[in-house]
Amino acid sequence: MKQHIEPIENVFTEGANRLLARADDYYSLTGETLIPRIRATVDKYVLRDDPQAPTQVVRDFIDKLQADDLCLIVACEHGNQTAWGELVERFSPTVRSAARAASSSEEAAEDLAQSIWAELHGLRVREDGKPAGKLAYYSGRGSLAGWLRAVVAQLAVDQHRKQLRLVQTEEDADFDRIIQSGQEETIWSGHGEVVNPEQEISKKLAGAEMEKALASSIQQLSAEDRLLVKLYYFDGLRLREAGAVLGVHEATASRRLTRVHAELRQQVERILVEEEGWTKPETEHAFSEIGLHLEGDIEPLLRTESILMKKENEIAG
Amino acid sequence: MKQTKNNPVDLLLRSLAKGWHKSSWQNGSVCGGGKGNFSEHLDADELNSYAEGVAPAAARVRYTEHLADCAACRGIIVSLTQATGTAVRDEVSDLKSGLGFFQKLAALFSPAVLRFAVPVLVLTAVIGISLVALRQPRRPELIARNQRADSSTYVAPAKQTELPSAPTNQAAPATQKGSNLAATTNASKEIDSLKNDKTGAGGGAGVVATKSAASAPVAKDADQPGTVAGLSELRPSYAPEPKAAAAPPPRPYLSDAGSIALEKEQSAKREEQERQRDDIARSQPSAEHGPNRSAVPRTGGLAMQRTEVLTARRAGPSTSDKKNKGTEVESRSVSGRRFIREGNAWVDTAYESPRATVKVVRGSEQFRALVADEPGLGAIAQQLDGVIIVIWKNRAYRIQ
Repeated sequence: MKQHIEPIENVFTEGANRLLARADDYYSLTGETLIPRIRATVDKYVLRDDPQAPTQVVRDFIDKLQADDLCLIVACEHGNQTAWGELVERFSPTVRSAARAASSSEEAAEDLAQSIWAELHGLRVREDGKPAGKLAYYSGRGSLAGWLRAVVAQLAVDQHRKQLRLVQTEEDADFDRIIQSGQEETIWSGHGEVVNPEQEISKKLAGAEMEKALASSIQQLSAEDRLLVKLYYFDGLRLREAGAVLGVHEATASRRLTRVHAELRQQVERILVEEEGWTKPETEHAFSEIGLHLEGDIEPLLRTESILMKKENEIAG
Repeated sequence: MKQTKNNPVDLLLRSLAKGWHKSSWQNGSVCGGGKGNFSEHLDADELNSYAEGVAPAAARVRYTEHLADCAACRGIIVSLTQATGTAVRDEVSDLKSGLGFFQKLAALFSPAVLRFAVPVLVLTAVIGISLVALRQPRRPELIARNQRADSSTYVAPAKQTELPSAPTNQAAPATQKGSNLAATTNASKEIDSLKNDKTGAGGGAGVVATKSAASAPVAKDADQPGTVAGLSELRPSYAPEPKAAAAPPPRPYLSDAGSIALEKEQSAKREEQERQRDDIARSQPSAEHGPNRSAVPRTGGLAMQRTEVLTARRAGPSTSDKKNKGTEVESRSVSGRRFIREGNAWVDTAYESPRATVKVVRGSEQFRALVADEPGLGAIAQQLDGVIIVIWKNRAYRIQ
């Protein structure tokens, strides 16, 4: 064990020195000040998934860290005022932009941006007497600007969740009423036809079983496919945007989604037959009927939900 | 991308998402995985590394697992991905706008650009050359033939001065045989070059001119004014004799309008040369150069007609010897050709007696057609009376 640790420590030391050499301005930092940060980063991204990772992999990982950004953040963490001034000067526009994107108004955005600097610096004090800010969590793996955006977004989500817990706004209540009325119209009036209650209940039960089977099937998809389905159907993203999140082209995302449809259908049919006791013709008939039924069911919602409206436009071409 | 609207799975998924949206709005929760503890979410550094695509593969799989079930982190990832994409685009545009001249030049000649530019340039060049080649007039062909005609015109007098004293029809068969063999070789080349010339190749012009010039000394034994004139002699023995009574004589190698223009041009040029020669001779004082032979009254319009008494070339090597012998031969020069009076006929000096002729009767339809095609022949026929034997375009005509 000791034989394993020693080379890794040497790799950290060498990596820290190389990182300082790569930085344009290292703010009088030394290798020793960087080693704890580098070690934490390697543990988080490499050794957590592969504790026996070869030293070459660790060395390559360290060499890909953002040297300038990491030195700036570590210098800020160590109380270097010059570094702080540069951080604020260079990244204020980024923080303001991220705050505006995450806020509903300009005032809220300004408040959010100001609170970010306090969060970064840290209002509390650690055991070693230094402020316990979020700067300690920057690893240098990604860009500092991206990390700051992520911090702003997380803080905005946190604030939003706190507000939602406290009060449900009047606008949300109105929105819920619109959805509710649309669903009632669908259930009882449909397209102006006289509806047989027994048939409607039977259909809804069948639909509920299918939805349950579908939800179960989604959970059995691979993580990438499940993420794609969530991004496209649940988050209302376009295929191009969903592909960007996954790091693939729009066309690749489209092909993958088509494949997912086939897999889900097979899986739903299997669940309905094996777990719900359906026959094969029944599943076939249900799938053929589900199109007409759900299409009529989904349209009132499409009128009220702008996200789904966007998707509909995309489908229509 | 367009998804199938009637896909039941697609519709089911939309229905499921609708229910999920409603519940999430009603519950005020944005975490779809049921993991309400925010500390289990990805931290800012992990979200950023995922959005920027720099997370190691194993870590990325782990984050994907979380993102598939966590709507809150998905929302942040989506916003980060969009912001990162914007930033990258801005950086690229800034980079492009900040490029210096040499960097732009280097970018212009970069392999990525050249990969498309070179084929386009090559294609453009090929199309351009093809267009130029197609639009080029057939001028070179005419020039080539003119050169050949000129060479025969200028070579002829020089050869005539070197003619042996023996008459043409009495030339030694052995020597003639050998010379014919050499002439055959050269003439076959000439035919090839003429064929090439007929195909319209511009480069053939120089070839024809060069070959005709090169073959001139060899053909002098044939006692012809030009090497091309000997081509008809090269006709194989099994070749059919031209029929005199038949329709207009077949033209050896020219049958299009360009050949007519060429021949007209040749005759006009020949006449022009004769005229110039006359003018020069007329302008010189007779005291210095002796009697002006060109001062003979002209009977023709365009062509100069000269009547002179020359010593019979075939009789002796020098003029004084001929005069002494008293054998005088009447000759005329019409349209740049010399004719010798032999009995009732004017015979072209380029004509050899065993050669077959095409008989053309004056005033006949054949004669009119020939004169229309060959105005030079018409001028000769007009200025010389009686029977005329003339070599015209390698073909012997007997006009009577």
